[in-house]
Amino acid sequence: MKKMSKTISKSTKQKSRLSVLIVDDNEQITKLISSFLDYSNHDCTVVNDGKEGLELIKTNQYDSIVLDLAMPECDGHQIIKTLQKDDPDQLKKITILTASNINDDAVKKFKELGISGCLQKPVDIDQLLSNITKASS
Amino acid sequence: MIRIKQALFLIFGITSFIIFYIGFLNFLTTQDNEMGLIILIFSGIVSSGTFFATFYIANHLTKPIESLAKRMKEFSENNFISKNSLDDKGISELTALHKNFEDMAQKVGNTLEKEKQLNLKLKEMDKRKTEFMSMISHELKTPIMPIMGYIQLLKKQELMGNLNEKQLDALNEISIASEKLQKLIQDVLMAQKIDLGKLSINKEIVDSKDLLEKTFKAFNPICESKNIDLKMSLGQTSSVYSDSDRISQIFSNLISNAMSFVPKQKGIIELGTKDDNEHITFFVRDNGVGIAKEQQKNIFKKFYQVDTSSTRKKEGSGLGLTICEGIVKTLGGKIWLKSSENKGTTFFFNLPKAKIQVDKIHP
Ligand SMILES: Nc1ncnc2c1ncn2[C@@H]1O[C@H](COP(=O)(O)OP(=O)(O)O)[C@@H](O)[C@H]1O
Ligand SMILES: [Mg+2]
Repeated sequence: MKKMSKTISKSTKQKSRLSVLIVDDNEQITKLISSFLDYSNHDCTVVNDGKEGLELIKTNQYDSIVLDLAMPECDGHQIIKTLQKDDPDQLKKITILTASNINDDAVKKFKELGISGCLQKPVDIDQLLSNITKASS
Repeated sequence: MIRIKQALFLIFGITSFIIFYIGFLNFLTTQDNEMGLIILIFSGIVSSGTFFATFYIANHLTKPIESLAKRMKEFSENNFISKNSLDDKGISELTALHKNFEDMAQKVGNTLEKEKQLNLKLKEMDKRKTEFMSMISHELKTPIMPIMGYIQLLKKQELMGNLNEKQLDALNEISIASEKLQKLIQDVLMAQKIDLGKLSINKEIVDSKDLLEKTFKAFNPICESKNIDLKMSLGQTSSVYSDSDRISQIFSNLISNAMSFVPKQKGIIELGTKDDNEHITFFVRDNGVGIAKEQQKNIFKKFYQVDTSSTRKKEGSGLGLTICEGIVKTLGGKIWLKSSENKGTTFFFNLPKAKIQVDKIHP
């Protein structure tokens, strides 16, 4: 635990470089986002499976998380539910990025859980980056 | 209310009593004792016969009627009747009535059962349609994301390296086409949502002046770039309890239509509001090609376009006005137009005023 908090304080020093986790079952989308983040000098971890994503969130400290909702087996809702129980502090780092229709009630619910943002695909990648940055602070 | 049994006993009871009474009177007053006795016995037999016949008839009359009433009630509750428990020895008209009711109930019951099945099927189909739509919507949006994302990324030459003129031109074409595709997908999904009655509405108090000014600001730059004179004529300000994003969507469709039909030189588009007691009416007026009378009833139909020739100047899917109409109706208003060929077009839509506003006017 101590070690981890040290690495956090280190990364907060050079604020501009973020470590971002992208959880989406669509490989083209994760590649797009990770390329863009990479070119914009951020560190990026990509995972195309919900379960693995949840493991990574539990075992690593990311500054910001991009989360798809509809995924086979373990979907975004499940990940959010689990984090809500086990590690609610992680929720504020999450930006939801989904192609599913989410109505305002759902957005409100996500906001109440502390989730940073809710974006619909296709998304303007600059807007995505600004959401990712916002979620990290 | 009086029951059949009571009525019968009343009538025949009195009759038999009168018969017996007459016989008894006769017995008391007659000289011929023997004859008097015979009449007394006879009247006694007749009156008690009447009494027992009444009893018998009453039973056979009321029982089947009562049971018919019971079965009718049963049928109206369950759309189903149990088998007849009545014997055939009763009054034949009533037995026939029973039989006919049974036949009718069976037929109606069958029809109702069929209808129920059909309804279930329809509901199931509706559910599947909705599921299918949300699946299609998801599957369409997912590949559009990397297409549009990579176009945007390629345009960031500081990250991706410089593109030469030809490459930029090609990229631009892809970009325009993908925006159109994205718009089309959005429109198709929107029209479907309206069809299924699944359009989400977020009502709040919306000020007509704010709304018009916001719309004006949003469209002024693009109109300026196309040399179109965008005007605004504000009527009396009032507020509606409605969904401002959806209203903006209507304006956006109407204005982009107007923009594609105004003349290249001296195109004019005017946005405005008008008021009556209960409604506020918004309008978008243009000095464009206009719409012929016989076309006017068609343009709100799905995918309908007046000019479908391949040389037509305007692009689009023919869904814009369908969507406008759907939104306006969902918001409780109406949409209509005034136009004649070459004399320009005005689209109107109205929305019910917010109650609060009405209260202010008539305190
Ligand atoms: N302001 C206008 N002036 C002339 N014609 C119009 C105007 N608005 C709509 N129309 C006619 O109505 C048709 C249907 O419009 P719309 O439903 O918005 O579909 P689209 O714009 O995709 O063609 C248009 O194709 C056009 O022929
Ligand atoms: Mg249109």
